Amino acid sequence: MKRRRSLFLHLSHIRLLAKKFALVFLFLFAFVLMLINKTDTILIEKTSNVATDVISPIIEVFAIPAKLIANGYDYFRDLKQIHADNMRLKEENRKLNLLYDKFKSLEIENRLLADLLNYVTPPKSDFITARVIAEEDDAFSHSMIAYIGDKIVKKGQIAMSDRGVVGRVHRVGRAYARVLLITDINSKIPVMIESSRIRGILAGDNTSLPKLVFTPLDAVINIGDRVVTSGVAGVFPAGLPIGRVVSVNKNEIIVKPFGALEQLEYIRLVDYGLEGLLQNENKMMNDEAANE
Amino acid sequence: MSEDIDENINSLFQRMLPLLSSFFLVLLSYLPLNFMFLNVIHPAITLVCAYFWLVHRPDLFNLWSVCLLGIFDNVISAAPMGSNIFAMLVLFVLTNAASKFLTAKPFVVLWYGFMALSLGTILLRWLIVSVYYSQFLPLDGMFFSYLITVFCYPFIALFLAFVQNNLIQDDE
Repeated sequence: MKRRRSLFLHLSHIRLLAKKFALVFLFLFAFVLMLINKTDTILIEKTSNVATDVISPIIEVFAIPAKLIANGYDYFRDLKQIHADNMRLKEENRKLNLLYDKFKSLEIENRLLADLLNYVTPPKSDFITARVIAEEDDAFSHSMIAYIGDKIVKKGQIAMSDRGVVGRVHRVGRAYARVLLITDINSKIPVMIESSRIRGILAGDNTSLPKLVFTPLDAVINIGDRVVTSGVAGVFPAGLPIGRVVSVNKNEIIVKPFGALEQLEYIRLVDYGLEGLLQNENKMMNDEAANE
Repeated sequence: MSEDIDENINSLFQRMLPLLSSFFLVLLSYLPLNFMFLNVIHPAITLVCAYFWLVHRPDLFNLWSVCLLGIFDNVISAAPMGSNIFAMLVLFVLTNAASKFLTAKPFVVLWYGFMALSLGTILLRWLIVSVYYSQFLPLDGMFFSYLITVFCYPFIALFLAFVQNNLIQDDE
């Protein structure tokens, strides 16, 4: 009887202690998770991929009716300005027709000159179009989840809208891929000013407008300059449109992305066959998968 | 016998409703809706849900529920793993500390309470994520997110109050 009593007391004592220290334990757990994440081990990446694959189908179920409601709202909002849009598009179409003729003649000229110089053309690209099912734009991260089905998508592939680069594939699950937007704090893309070929790095900072950093001190950069990828580091091919310079201050150069990042329904995940700096990382992941 | 099992399942579901309703709202918050300001910045739904249930039903929403909600949000989000859990735990500590000022108070008092406690939580999260990245995150985006979260509080609380009043039946 005595023994039972002492055992009971012992258990209740442990339970009380556990309750007392649960909060401390959970805080420690959160810190340890952040530390592991900081070292960017394959374990975290794999766990995150599995979790995304589990949760994404649930989000997708909600996405369909929610999209219908949002589209209905858009329909009535757009009705108001349909006439103005029609006039603008007609004018735009007229200008584009003129540009198309010019483009055709330039294309022929370019091909002839390339043949003459024996120019090596850039790698051919392959792409899939993926539907965006979840997006995240807050002060702590900018990313989206896209449905890729059974298509093969690799980490590092470029995500593009119809207007330009919007990000790169950060994590790939079985049927879903997480895309890190160019506005995320982890996004650093080698870019250049299209007209002057001045190079720099486009760095996201979790705001909607990324900054152009590491430009030469004597560089002359003007508002309105187009920013394109420079191809340095070999992950992005050169010349992909990204955005336009909207502000040039003493301390920072701000770029507005071409792709409307907050309104993306579909994105193209383009594979240029370039892995560049990500080559080693992808190789490690493949080796791990082969070992399993 | 089967009635007992049904009753147990029903009781378990009732006890899980605060957590399930929070999961539901978190999932909704990640949908890509081009609707008003929501396509620019998202409110911190997890903070609203956790605060509401901790104030109104601390018996059904305890430390582990808070932690589970944080993990769930962290899994969907691309934010550093652990940072959402940290924020939820901070809110838990703050809400518990202020519980005597918040229990059985009118809605406006609870709203002010949320304004104060969520500001503390978001600032602490901002600090720890800034340490994580070794650079300060922009404060303007964070404050915009905070304002939208505070603005959305009554609407989300209305839904959660509906769940509390109509779906959760207390055992007499």
